[in-house]
Amino acid sequence: MVERGFNVKRLPGAALMAVTCFVILYIPMVILVAYSFNSGKVIGNWEGLSLKWYGAAFQNAAFLDAAINSLILATSASVLATLMATMAAIATTRTAKFRGDGTIHIILNQPLMVPEIVLAIALLIIIGQIKQATGYTGLGFLIAAHTTFCIPFAYLPIRARLEGMDLSLEAAAADLYASRFYAFRRVTLPLLAPGIMAGFMLAFVISLDDLVMSDFLKSPGQETLPTYLMGELRRNLTSEIYAISSLLLLISVLIVAGSWVATRKKN
Amino acid sequence: MKYASCLTFTTAVLMATALPALAAGQLNIFNFGLYTPPDMIKKFEAAYDVKVTLTEYDSNEAAMAKIEAGGHGFDIVVPSASVVPIYIDKGLLMKSEPSQMSNFRNVNPEWIDVSWDAGRHYTVPWVWGTTGVMVNKKVYKGDINTSAIILDTPEELKGKVNVVPAMNEVIDMAIGYVGGQPCTTDKAILKAARDKLMAAKPHWASIDYPSFEKFIKEDLNASVFWNGAAMRIRAENPGFAYGYPKEGFSLWQDNVAILADAKNVDNAKLFLNFIMDPENAALISNYTRYGNAILGSEKFMDKELPNAPEMNIPPEFKTAAHFLVTCPADVQEIYTRIWTDLTK
Repeated sequence: MVERGFNVKRLPGAALMAVTCFVILYIPMVILVAYSFNSGKVIGNWEGLSLKWYGAAFQNAAFLDAAINSLILATSASVLATLMATMAAIATTRTAKFRGDGTIHIILNQPLMVPEIVLAIALLIIIGQIKQATGYTGLGFLIAAHTTFCIPFAYLPIRARLEGMDLSLEAAAADLYASRFYAFRRVTLPLLAPGIMAGFMLAFVISLDDLVMSDFLKSPGQETLPTYLMGELRRNLTSEIYAISSLLLLISVLIVAGSWVATRKKN
Repeated sequence: MKYASCLTFTTAVLMATALPALAAGQLNIFNFGLYTPPDMIKKFEAAYDVKVTLTEYDSNEAAMAKIEAGGHGFDIVVPSASVVPIYIDKGLLMKSEPSQMSNFRNVNPEWIDVSWDAGRHYTVPWVWGTTGVMVNKKVYKGDINTSAIILDTPEELKGKVNVVPAMNEVIDMAIGYVGGQPCTTDKAILKAARDKLMAAKPHWASIDYPSFEKFIKEDLNASVFWNGAAMRIRAENPGFAYGYPKEGFSLWQDNVAILADAKNVDNAKLFLNFIMDPENAALISNYTRYGNAILGSEKFMDKELPNAPEMNIPPEFKTAAHFLVTCPADVQEIYTRIWTDLTK
């Protein structure tokens, strides 16, 4: 008799459970997106299909400024984080085991463990002092802070990819007298690219959606999309907020989908 | 991914953002969300050739935390009256002497010798409002000018009442209802207020900032609420009315001040003077739906505003109004304990 092993799909009610979970998870967002197309002002009253709230959003200078800030910030932070994470991942996987390897791994991933609010308060105090001392209040501080907590999100997929890669290919390149850099550029890097892409996109989305850190550290005129939405929320809700939220959701979904496609193709 | 191009891009971004804004004039305003009319900002920018940035916060506490940390870069902040004395004590505000400015003559004398800034040495009024009771008259036929709607919930409103999570406003309302004064040190009154709140709570639906549609669709039919917000709801559902509890209700004002470490002091002073002009004050009221303290602004307001019941405290209830303040530390601590029990 053949042992069939454990398969969660054969558990009674597994499908029902999965569907229920997905519905509960996604229904609120579906409602939000649906009502962003409502022509009425009030969310519960469907008054017909309309793009007018999107029109209003695109004429709202404050929203556009916030969107531009968010994109500059997310792009810079995720590029920097990916760059550093790639170097770190290569350094920790393509060398002989060394003392302190585990420690490095823990330090790199500490933003995942430390509550974000704690890091934000710590940075608020220190960066406040630096801003006072230097007089510089540009976006650089937010970029540095976002880079910090984006690094683990870029590092983990890149490291996973590196660990899954067949070392014999790199060894073969070396056997064929490829220089170490040439082997890296022509063998390691192309194989690693999907991992880097996944890490970059994950970091981008994490930065784009961040509220706590941005809210604590923003200087004048540095409203990002999440902090802008937060500021508007307390006072009044028009469906414009739903349109803006839907746009933010759309960007995140596109990026995550892109990341999924990028990693999947090469497998 | 080409590292070189990434680096170039990053460097470019860093350099672009590294330059502090060196426009001829700059003014950095820090205010509550959805509280600063964009058309007024445009008008100010055009009048004085100043570039204004608007950055938003969602609570007095969050704003003060950032300002205290230093290096914030803001010139103007809009603290509520209840926290102005704290700002002043901590030395966070500049003594900008608005009373010496040319448009100060427009300020309603009622709003000059205020407890938080007597004679107006630091602050200029932004808007003022009240924290009263909003109720759906289609459902409830009784007297609307009483906090009994919240604290001895009538049968027809049970399970349809909301209370906004504004600690001092709600506790002051309960203290007034049991016959005390806000910030009382009388333990018996405080206990009675606490018991009243705890007894009323089971009849409430929520302690929350509810989204407006819950009222408009009549899922909620009463709430402790702010007058300007109540006016917005009445515009969508005329069944709602705003009452001034005769047992006592809070009167509050948000105030514009220049920060002690502001960089653009001249522009900030221009702004303070600018908003004391009746035409500009009217823009603020039109946008926020709250009253301002500038005489003569009524004629520039949207026509439904000056006579709206939410904007005018009936004379017979004026004595029931009391300014919302932060209590002395020991009383404030009791408030916090009551609030923790209530929201548990």
